Amino acid sequence: MIRQDFNTKEENTWCPGCPNSGILLSAKEALAELANEGKLSVKDATLVTGIGCHGKIYDYLNLNGFNGLHGRVLPVCLGMKLGNPDLTVLGFGGDGDTFDEGVAHFVHACRYNADITMMVHTNQVFALTTGQANAITEKGFVDGSTPLGQGEKPINSLVLALEMGATFVARGYALQGPYLKELIKKAIIHEGFAFIDILQPCIVYHKHSMPYFNKNVYKIEETRDTGNLNQALERAREWDYSYEKDMKVPTGVFYETKRPTFESQWPQLKKPWYALKRNINWSRVIKEFK
Amino acid sequence: MEKTILIGGAAGLGSAVTAHLIGRIFCNLGCYVFNYRDYPSLIRGGHNFNVLKISDKPVYSHEYHYDFILALDQKTIDIHRKDLKKGGLIFGAKETEPVVQKLQGPGILANDVLIGLLFKYFGADLEIILTEADEIFGKKAGLIKKAIEEGYKLGVQKETLRRSSGQEAKYFISGSEAISIGAIAAGLDVYLAYPMTPASPVLHFLAKRQLANNILVFQPENEIAVVNAALGASFAGAKTMVGTSGGGFALMSEGLSLAAMTELPLVIYLGQRPAPATGLATHTGQGDLKFALNAGHGEFLRVVSSPGDAQEAITRTQEAFYLSSKYRVPAIILSDKHLAESDYSFNEIKKSALPDSRFILENPPQDYKSYKITANGVSPRAVPGQGPVVRANSYEHNEAGHTIEDSAWTIKMQDKRFKKLDFIKREINKLNPVSLYGKGNNLLISYGSTKGAILDALPQMKNFRFLQISYLKPFPAEIVSKEIKKSKKVILIENGVKGSLADVIKEETGITIKHKILKYDGRPFTPEFLVDKFKKI
Repeated sequence: MIRQDFNTKEENTWCPGCPNSGILLSAKEALAELANEGKLSVKDATLVTGIGCHGKIYDYLNLNGFNGLHGRVLPVCLGMKLGNPDLTVLGFGGDGDTFDEGVAHFVHACRYNADITMMVHTNQVFALTTGQANAITEKGFVDGSTPLGQGEKPINSLVLALEMGATFVARGYALQGPYLKELIKKAIIHEGFAFIDILQPCIVYHKHSMPYFNKNVYKIEETRDTGNLNQALERAREWDYSYEKDMKVPTGVFYETKRPTFESQWPQLKKPWYALKRNINWSRVIKEFK
Repeated sequence: MEKTILIGGAAGLGSAVTAHLIGRIFCNLGCYVFNYRDYPSLIRGGHNFNVLKISDKPVYSHEYHYDFILALDQKTIDIHRKDLKKGGLIFGAKETEPVVQKLQGPGILANDVLIGLLFKYFGADLEIILTEADEIFGKKAGLIKKAIEEGYKLGVQKETLRRSSGQEAKYFISGSEAISIGAIAAGLDVYLAYPMTPASPVLHFLAKRQLANNILVFQPENEIAVVNAALGASFAGAKTMVGTSGGGFALMSEGLSLAAMTELPLVIYLGQRPAPATGLATHTGQGDLKFALNAGHGEFLRVVSSPGDAQEAITRTQEAFYLSSKYRVPAIILSDKHLAESDYSFNEIKKSALPDSRFILENPPQDYKSYKITANGVSPRAVPGQGPVVRANSYEHNEAGHTIEDSAWTIKMQDKRFKKLDFIKREINKLNPVSLYGKGNNLLISYGSTKGAILDALPQMKNFRFLQISYLKPFPAEIVSKEIKKSKKVILIENGVKGSLADVIKEETGITIKHKILKYDGRPFTPEFLVDKFKKI
């Protein structure tokens, strides 16, 4: 397969130059390569999106898809695995989507460890609704809803994921296409809940991100031990999503470990339910009531 | 023969389990039984009680005058002694304590001494009682059976209750159990719920039997996750049901709208309790009718049905799955605490003959479109994994499921979704959307769990028929209108403050119902209450 196999004919309505296009390209390439390597059955792959700029990726990927509600990407992903454990489920969420409206689901998804991949487009604003601050926006940010400046410090989503038990935690940068593609491939192959924080600087409502990232983003050295949670947390805290001074912004795999998946707790969950023909034994069902 | 038995005690002393066991034994002896459960929201202490009505004729309700009071604590006697019928008996600590001491067992054995005492009165065969105890308690039955025997020895026989040839053993089943087995009969694959009284018994019943029935049960982090995960599972091809009460349903209402827009089948079991807000957590009410009919943003189709007893709960649940799967619309089964937590008795319990089909294409074509516009508005359904790309979109979309914003497609899709209405209506007309009981020029109208008390009161309401409405959406307006128009006096009966069903009837038929018998203290109707109010109209 080639990445163009995942093209649709839908008109791309992201702003010209929006780094979301980089995420789309990396995702297509990752899917094509995994399919070619025999590691992905494309007909069993399904994407789930929330609402916000990121959600438009639903229309631009020629793949089974569920464009759900704002903040609810992860429950839909989870339900899909309960409905058909053979599906490869790819969640795309926005940072406001995932860490404001849907933060409870994220916390629990890390605990559950379902075999799903969650890619969060981190642009530190609610862009599609004209640039309000979200849970990842830096303190002091001024916008339509916070004219006095955003009052709180942002959530560090990597630290949250690590503390809550995600078994694969990575950060990519939308403008590091080939590297992001590799991270997406690793996340999809990972058996368990894989989270990638994808830096996607908004070029309209959060203009200071891109130059900051271009200056400060670096790749975590390949030789690092990714099985050490404390080291991963330390690395995750190198950048606190603020812009007051130059800090190093690490990208790459922070942490990877193995834990039984959510799905494995049900011995009866072996294959898709829709393929099951039931033959209800009514007299057995009602026996206990007499 | 008709006897009413109250069994009460502080929470944790065992009144609910014992009432259920007593009910089962009477059913085994061929009697009809209705078991009402009343309890506050606490875990230990307080005052819980059950009322069992036993009869040789079908019985669907309870009353507050007792032939027997079985007391697990003094409070039970203090509260209920005033309602003991003339010649009625009280069994309590005086009888049970010596036996418990003799057996040197835990205090909970008092329950079993009471069971022995009671059935000795009726002259029931001890073997039948001990066999039931074995079935219910399994390996733990040893000491329990000893206590029953001791109670039996202590008791005095006044009647001889034997299962005669005409009186076969009865099935004894709660509304919650009935909803659960109705779902199993319909081919349920996945049940998701967050705990909330009175819907939780369905969660427990199905969870416990998930391996035996090859289904999956999970309790997600909140009701928002429940409904969204249910739609993910439904998208993947699983027959999915969620269960909740009013507060949880409020959290699900955005997801209900999503179910309608994505046209994914979803069955919602909604067990009502008194509200607003937390209301009365462990009591009953019918205040969510208009909420069930109108919840969710936007204009969309739904099916809302309301069973009146446990047998109906089985078939209405099957119908909900059938209609939801076939027409790709959400279906709500509207119950309440009274139906959910009461036990009903039947000679047989039947399932509907409706097929448990999945309504999923075997081999979807390569050019498959998830939202293809068809004559009846229903797009043939495929699921991911079958081959072609399958989509579900919360945004307005075209046939392929891609997002659109233009006027023409918006109109086409809104019309497509509503096109199903006429076909669902036709389907519902074949499913007995209303039932008529009794004869007369006047009419009682109600829906849901009130059926029991109304049926038991009906013989005392001369010249009145009872119209039970079982489908609230789509509403069987023509039949309801016809029945109202040919009646002289019409009375609405509802467990609510305002009588919402009257508003629904007004909206659907234009007819105003003037007379209402309402009850909104969190407790269900009794025939006595109805007859008393009825006399005043």
